Amino acid sequence: MIALLQLAAALYLASGIAGGFAVALGGAGAGRAALALLGVGVAAHTASFVALHAVEPTPQLTQIPLAVSLMAWMVVLAFLAFARRARLGGLVVAVGPVAFLGSFFAALRTPHAPEADLMGAGSWPHAHVLLASSGLALLAVAAIAGSVFLLENRRLKRKSLHPARRGGGLPSLETLDRVNAVALAVGFPLLSLGVLTGALWLHAARGVLWTGAAHEAWNALAWLIYAVLAAARFAGHQGARDAAVSAVAGFAFLLFAVVGVGLLA
Amino acid sequence: MKILLVGLSHRSAPVELRERFAIDAPEPILAKLVAADEIDEAFLLSTCNRTEALVLTRRPEAARHRLRSLFARELAGEDVSPGAVEKALYEYTDSRAMQHVFRVAASLDSMVVGEPQILGQVKDAYRAAAGAGATGVILGRLLNRAFATAKRVRSETRIAERPLSVARVAVDLARQIFESLEGKRALLVGAGDMGEIALEALRAEGLRELCVANRTPERARALAERFGARASGFDALPALLEAADVVLTSVGGGEPVLTPQMVAAAMHGRGHRPMFVIDIGVPRNVDPAVNEIAAVYLYDIDDLDRVASANAEQRRREVERAEAIVQEEQQRFDGWLAALRAVPTIRHLRARGEAVRQGELERFLRRNNLGPEQREALEALTRAIVNKLLHAPVSRLRAEAETEEGLAYLEAARVLFALDDPGAPGAEADARVDDAEDE
Repeated sequence: MIALLQLAAALYLASGIAGGFAVALGGAGAGRAALALLGVGVAAHTASFVALHAVEPTPQLTQIPLAVSLMAWMVVLAFLAFARRARLGGLVVAVGPVAFLGSFFAALRTPHAPEADLMGAGSWPHAHVLLASSGLALLAVAAIAGSVFLLENRRLKRKSLHPARRGGGLPSLETLDRVNAVALAVGFPLLSLGVLTGALWLHAARGVLWTGAAHEAWNALAWLIYAVLAAARFAGHQGARDAAVSAVAGFAFLLFAVVGVGLLA
Repeated sequence: MKILLVGLSHRSAPVELRERFAIDAPEPILAKLVAADEIDEAFLLSTCNRTEALVLTRRPEAARHRLRSLFARELAGEDVSPGAVEKALYEYTDSRAMQHVFRVAASLDSMVVGEPQILGQVKDAYRAAAGAGATGVILGRLLNRAFATAKRVRSETRIAERPLSVARVAVDLARQIFESLEGKRALLVGAGDMGEIALEALRAEGLRELCVANRTPERARALAERFGARASGFDALPALLEAADVVLTSVGGGEPVLTPQMVAAAMHGRGHRPMFVIDIGVPRNVDPAVNEIAAVYLYDIDDLDRVASANAEQRRREVERAEAIVQEEQQRFDGWLAALRAVPTIRHLRARGEAVRQGELERFLRRNNLGPEQREALEALTRAIVNKLLHAPVSRLRAEAETEEGLAYLEAARVLFALDDPGAPGAEADARVDDAEDE
């Protein structure tokens, strides 16, 4: 399982490098190779989950390394689903490295003993992790689209249009903004369901919806921030650039709340 | 056999001369060319930038004279001085002619290097020549290699990627801002020629809804009618601006037509959706501060020109790589042609060997009375000896034919085996080979 995860991480990294070449040099062949590597990487990643399931019928998905691995896997799947509908091939340059970091981190920190909290909580922990990871994955895609939007926006505003830096293969600003909006529109409800199922898990395991633990407070705050950002976005109060900044900043905060606080603890 | 190319192009003749050589129907000319004794295969290419005749000939001087006469007398017409035509004509033979055909198909000899239309034009011309039965094995192969070379150049270099005209640069930039131009609205402010050209290029990308605003509504109406657009005066600018995704300005006069206040108000009204403003006016029509407004991308004529120049420089670098591909393909074709030249020598050599074998065998059989089985065995033995003896020189000739020393090897073989000596043993077989080749 670890070997497959390491293979997936290597393939993701290779796809990011090939994507970098495609963007810097504008080669269509490198772009196709990057997408193909990402596709093979996600297949290896899927195989690692299958192998895990064979060893452990109820995997400890609530453990951070596995949750991060699941999130990286979903980021790639969500990206590939988006890429089928729009010309997003150039985004491999960002998606590949993000997926690499997630899977590499998971490969380094293999899961250990099962958590006592899982006992007697039924399927809530898995529902929580699956929904929250899906939401996080889509918000990660929104953040990636937002980051690339900001770079491209800056380039076009500054008119730094030397051919070598023209960003061949990257999607248009309008496409990046649409990806950001769609990922937020689907990702935020999934994240909300993740938060809800998390509370229900707590209730099933300990009889309370809220224990006051630090990571719960951070997660609730992150959700609240996203709720405000989503409302601003869909009420039409944000332009594309502000939405991109929100997507990047919001995801950074969310990642810290979900992963960073857990690791620090 | 020689490959000969005669023609004129934008490099050698001005447009007023080139236009006299436009050929609408090449078939009759091709038929006439291949009907001539000295021409075996022919191909004609006629585009707005060039007219060229490519032929395969056994008598280069006569073919050269015929082609020059075709240009100077038949195509030019009476009012064009033959001297001017002679001066504009260029002529290439063999390797240089092949290289020229490859360069033309790969768009390296085009007025705008890398433009894609020329390959289609060469293909059309080849179809016409093949349809008229004017091309054969050699020119057919040459042109097919030219198409393959052009494909390699397009896929292995970025020669055609960067737009060079200001209008195409504007389109390229628009595609970096908008997912698609289909369904986008354009506003042309002013009625200058450059604005029209850029608008035409944007419309070719699918931009449909268009409005023309001008100080004098009459001029706006005239232009709007041509583009199937709406026309209005400058008083409607704020409302028009709010609806426009692409704004082109081309107005005479010193004061900016679009101010930051106007554009900011329009952006607020359109929910901050991106707006691409192309200012082609000189002096500039749009206050440069407009570029500071979020989601507004302002490019003036100098910005567009800078991109076009950078693209041109990039293309120039790609040309070197493309030329290397052409060189490589031309050498490969040269090798094939050289190998083709080795075929008669190899045939002669084999025929000579076979004739000597049969002659000696007959002489031996006349003196010795052998049974059928012994004759058969002797036949097989002598054939095996001749084949084995000739195997090494024939293989070497084939291999060396594609190299620079190929001709020297062919010459050496002819001398060593006395292939050109009519008195040599078995020489009577050479006449049969020559006859067969002529047929």
